Amino acid sequence: MKFDALTEEHLDALREVSNIGVAHAATALSQLIGRSISLTVPKVLLTEICKVPEVFGGAEKLVVGIYLQMLGDARGNILIVLPRDSALKLLSRLLPREKSEGTLLTELEISALKEVGNILASAYLNALGALMGKTLIPSVPVLSFDMVGAVIDYALIELGEIGDLALMVETDFFGEEEKINGQFFLLPDPESLKIILNAIGVKL
Amino acid sequence: MSKIISVGISEHKVASDPVVLVTYGLGSCVGIALYDPEVRIGGLAHTLLPAPVREVQGAERTAKFTCWAVDLMVEELLKCGCAPERLVAKLAGGATMFEPQYRSAHGGIGERNVAAAREALERSGIPLVAEDTGGDYGRSLEFNTATGIIMVRALQQPIKQL
Repeated sequence: MKFDALTEEHLDALREVSNIGVAHAATALSQLIGRSISLTVPKVLLTEICKVPEVFGGAEKLVVGIYLQMLGDARGNILIVLPRDSALKLLSRLLPREKSEGTLLTELEISALKEVGNILASAYLNALGALMGKTLIPSVPVLSFDMVGAVIDYALIELGEIGDLALMVETDFFGEEEKINGQFFLLPDPESLKIILNAIGVKL
Repeated sequence: MSKIISVGISEHKVASDPVVLVTYGLGSCVGIALYDPEVRIGGLAHTLLPAPVREVQGAERTAKFTCWAVDLMVEELLKCGCAPERLVAKLAGGATMFEPQYRSAHGGIGERNVAAAREALERSGIPLVAEDTGGDYGRSLEFNTATGIIMVRALQQPIKQL
């Protein structure tokens, strides 16, 4: 289905199912780091591809991007974006104190952050899949630590082949005691969007 | 201080001296710069994909696709008084941002973007005079139309001049 054919009702439904998905993801992350993580109500954004970097705070912002594919009965991309400071704070909670200097991440740090991505995405997709009565699984995560524009263009490639719009479900999460924040994005492909909306009983 | 014009994903801009055309955070995307040193007019495009995979219905021709970006810029540059035989090209971007396990899914999109850009330039008969492509990091470009020089900035890399 075409993204520009989406009605307010469709977007509401998508927001609601994402709400449940990210709640599970936040709980999983809280347990992992032993600190409570809160989240905002998801926003559903329908954005021109060329405007997507602005959603992330400008193309040159330095971030850790963890990217997974949503596989199974519906397909799409999942992108978790952590500002550099937040990624380092997360790492200090996950790993023994051996902070890396400069802008490079060690192999161990990369591996730990990928695991964070894996846990977030799995929790999200489990909840979404259960709600839909479908099987959704994440692929192996990959990571890039660079300018956000460069990190995200990869996720836009498939969307770019089909049209000029990106549908993004964005949730900001943040730690209450210390500033750990990040964004969780689901970019369903247009065909899978139809499957998701059908499965949750929304009329198309 | 020269005027700065920003070029987003899927966009192209053409400008004359003295303007700095900038594009930020090129990953697997490619930045294509065309320049006529005589009249000091240049164009910069930020392309996402090599070529349309199928007929794109009702879509405007944008610089989203590498093959269109070159043609669009050449058309505009000629209208601005550039001569086709004086045009030169520079390329940057086309990185592989994530580890190879994902490359097969898109057949190395960064490399394919670079290859498509080279082909489009060859077809248009525009010589490629400088290039900074590949690698596993993002790039930002600042193209000064007064000099034709492009500054390439990247994380953990020295600034390069093309």
